[in-house]
Amino acid sequence: MSSPRPRLRRLPLHVAAGTTIVVCLFPVYWMVVTAFKPNRDIQSDSPQLLPQTWTLDHFRTAVDADGFALFWRNSILVTLGAVLLALAVALGAAFAVARMRWRGRRQFMLMVFIAQMAPWEALIIPVYIISRDTGMLDRLPTLTLIYFMMTLPFTIVVLRGFIAAIPAELEEAAQVDGCTRAGAFRHVAFPLLAPGLMATSLFGYITAWNEFTYANFLIIKHQDSRTLPVWLSSFQNVFGTDWGATMAASTLFALPALAVFLLLQRHVTAGFAAGAVKG
Amino acid sequence: MLAGVCTLVIAGGLSACSSSDASGGSDGGATTIDVWLMRDSVSARFQKEFVQGFRAAHPDIEVKVQIQEWDGIGEKVTAALASNDAPDVIETGNTQVAQFAQSGGLLDLSDKVDELGGGDWLRGLAEPGAYEGKQYGIPYYAANRVVIYRTDLFRKAGVDPAAIKTRDQWIAATEKLNKGGTQGIYLPGQTWYALAGFIWDEGGDLAERSGDSWEGTLDTPEALRGMDFYKKLQALGKGPRDSDEAEPPQAEVMAKGQVAQIISTPGGANVVIESNPELKGRLGFFPIPGKTADRPGSVFIGGSDLVVPAASGKQDAAFTFIKELTGDAWQRKLAVAMSYVPNKTTLADAVASDPGTAAMAAGAAVGRATPNTPAWAAVEAKNPIKDYMTAVLTGADAGAEAAKASESITEAMRSGS
Amino acid sequence: MSIIRERAAIRLPLGRPSRRQPRRGSQRSAPPGPGHGRRLRPGRAWPYLLVAPTVLGMLYLLVYPLARTVLISLQDFRLRQLIRGDARFVGLRNYETLLTDGHFWQVVRRTFLFMAVDVVLIMLLATLVALVIERLGRLGRTAVLSALVLAWAMPVIAATTVFQWLFHSEFGIVNHTLTGLGFDSFDRYPWFAHGPAAFTILVLLIVWQSVPFAAITLYSALATVPSELYESARIDGAPAGRIFRSITFPMIRPIFMLVLSLEVIWTFKAFVQIWVMTNGGPGDATTILPVYAVQTALSSQRYDLGSAASMVTVLMMAAVLVLYFRQLFRQEGEAL
Repeated sequence: MSSPRPRLRRLPLHVAAGTTIVVCLFPVYWMVVTAFKPNRDIQSDSPQLLPQTWTLDHFRTAVDADGFALFWRNSILVTLGAVLLALAVALGAAFAVARMRWRGRRQFMLMVFIAQMAPWEALIIPVYIISRDTGMLDRLPTLTLIYFMMTLPFTIVVLRGFIAAIPAELEEAAQVDGCTRAGAFRHVAFPLLAPGLMATSLFGYITAWNEFTYANFLIIKHQDSRTLPVWLSSFQNVFGTDWGATMAASTLFALPALAVFLLLQRHVTAGFAAGAVKG
Repeated sequence: MLAGVCTLVIAGGLSACSSSDASGGSDGGATTIDVWLMRDSVSARFQKEFVQGFRAAHPDIEVKVQIQEWDGIGEKVTAALASNDAPDVIETGNTQVAQFAQSGGLLDLSDKVDELGGGDWLRGLAEPGAYEGKQYGIPYYAANRVVIYRTDLFRKAGVDPAAIKTRDQWIAATEKLNKGGTQGIYLPGQTWYALAGFIWDEGGDLAERSGDSWEGTLDTPEALRGMDFYKKLQALGKGPRDSDEAEPPQAEVMAKGQVAQIISTPGGANVVIESNPELKGRLGFFPIPGKTADRPGSVFIGGSDLVVPAASGKQDAAFTFIKELTGDAWQRKLAVAMSYVPNKTTLADAVASDPGTAAMAAGAAVGRATPNTPAWAAVEAKNPIKDYMTAVLTGADAGAEAAKASESITEAMRSGS
Repeated sequence: MSIIRERAAIRLPLGRPSRRQPRRGSQRSAPPGPGHGRRLRPGRAWPYLLVAPTVLGMLYLLVYPLARTVLISLQDFRLRQLIRGDARFVGLRNYETLLTDGHFWQVVRRTFLFMAVDVVLIMLLATLVALVIERLGRLGRTAVLSALVLAWAMPVIAATTVFQWLFHSEFGIVNHTLTGLGFDSFDRYPWFAHGPAAFTILVLLIVWQSVPFAAITLYSALATVPSELYESARIDGAPAGRIFRSITFPMIRPIFMLVLSLEVIWTFKAFVQIWVMTNGGPGDATTILPVYAVQTALSSQRYDLGSAASMVTVLMMAAVLVLYFRQLFRQEGEAL
């Protein structure tokens, strides 16, 4: 095999990869750059790819805003709670559906699929009424539970797919090799599940982290329980929106997603390498 | 993992509980009331001054002020009114009172009007605050739009702002200014409050009552003349035809230095200067010119009323609060501190020394509001007026578009009532 | 453990473990496979215990509120009733109002168009991107995945705003660039004033936001396809297109169908982007069902009509997906 040929053959691949990256990142780039532009350059007659003058003012505004740390804490608590709860509950359900046979399984899966379609915009009024009547308004756990339910069906469906895709033989073989059943699952199936866990927890994180309507509607009087998306709206006033600060806050806001991904990425590559499988 | 989750949820619950006890009822005989004011409705400094003054005068009432954001405020107030534990005083936009009043969520304050000096209230605040003859909203403050202009650019172009008294003079002056790199006026295509003013000047309206229902009236000859004037004015600058004054914030556009005039509340001048300090001392104000010199242009009165939720458990204390904040003494201070038009016509002298507020007060005297019906909220939710404006400005036939928009308004108001 | 490797490679149909399991009369306490109830006496309750939290959670947090939504849609329920709580039962009147409104049917047609265009584009692009990622080296893969995640994690409001800016008539870089390239007709072209243009921009935005999830998930599925399969196919000299059709696609099919159905649901429910960007306008050009429902429910405070519209939306969505469910059941056969 001559070396230039494969390289040439891989050229379209790399062009495609490059295009994907550019298309994905351009709006993100625009958000970040806006966060560094002085207000009057943000929307100008001659849009600039690079800011003419850089400023950190917007980040300062965002960080100095009232309750910055508090709302971060709230959002992190709510999001983490919802994601972990969903993962724990879904893992059990997904395992039961993918690996066990029991009466009512079809119905259960059908219910989970239908739950995907839940019209959350319409559910807000009943959820509000129920929370009000049970004294759960103004409380973070209410939001945690709602976000948990928003992400749960999806998490089950995806994890089920991934568990089903892992050959049961792998675990069985590991058991033959002397692992316990739990140990087999942990050492063999779990690494293979990592991509699924990544996709679902990212999904949960992004859903819960961004949610505005419920956070705005259910946290009424107790302002210290507000979450980040609601806080983001505080950069709006009667003269319009302080877009610089909003974009700065949004940038800070998106960073944890990348962190979560990079953190899980290691597990994922480990899963791909499938060292346990290929031994 | 499950244990971890439980701990988290419980921790969240505990912290939410432990910090929420402050809003509890009366400690040591004092009644605590929760008050919701809107962002930028009062400055932090004024708020502090007022709360201290209030405490000195009423030691038995503890006031807790929460600042609310504009985004999603309609839903938030709805949620508050329907809750068991509503705040005691809420600031709401003057045009929003009707729909909340209709729902039965507000306390009827009709019997207090005389005590509050209601005879002198600004019409633009008091009328929208009433529903079916009962007063629910107490006028708090008003703000309306004026023309903010660049004194230096006017001088350079040889235009005397004091001589602009009619629309024709205004157009002539703006044409003179709109030369070279300078925009005569930056008027975004969807500034529908400004259009409403022009339509009122011509004797038209956005919607009119016919019998039991309302009908959109953008297609009357009067309203079409108003739109025609808007189109003429809008062409004398580079305002985008498909967005409103908040997108991008027009004050930021003016801060770039090439805009001679904008239509804004006077507070917008502060935003301009904050963004570009070089323009300090170079901004002036005049009321929006009318059709004839003897009467300034009609303007939409924006502003706020204070309401008391029916669910509030401390309505007497809430009323005491309203009485103080809307009373003459604090209104004078508020108007000066925040550049607002005070809630009574008799207080206009309080702001005579501030050029921006004075220009605004002149307009406020002939101020109007949107049709006073709960159904109007449905129109604003969709706002066919904005689409109509953009369509006309980008070359569509005004008559046909106006008929279409009027129909949408009629339809929206029917479904909203 | 080379034997296992072989087995994994042979095992073709994904998501059909049951077919194979009966054949493997496994020893000891293997995962409670089917057909061995005798061995699993204490394990019989296990699946029910495992799904119990899900079922209970759904009953309280989903079914119960949903039932109340149905109730609201059968009542005269507005702001007053929300506050006072004395709603009157009106039977199917709200549905009648809704279904006899010609305007509503226009919105329905538009919703289906919007969904179809979005879903086709999303699935096409996502599959391509997933295939690209799979063929990349480790570094390139991480780069593309990170870019996807960043795009996905960008707050919806921020993304929507940026798209709005890009296409702004006066200050947008798109018009700026197009004019610069000599297309003078785009000078100050008001994208959001023209229905089809605004519709297209929203499609672009939704596709841009949805591709990352779909691509990452499809790629995860691709990653579980044993590479030996490709190797043998390549050695046989099969062209890339055929390898994809006959090996890759069947392997990722369950996940592909899953992503497809999710995208159908999500684009059907797209709301925030439209609400922020165009508010359903100009005119009605970008009003799809959820926007319509919220406009009626929250803005006009007709919670009853809004709930009815949402219920109709759910039914329509279910109608679209019923085909998918049927296929899923058939395909998974016993497994489900």
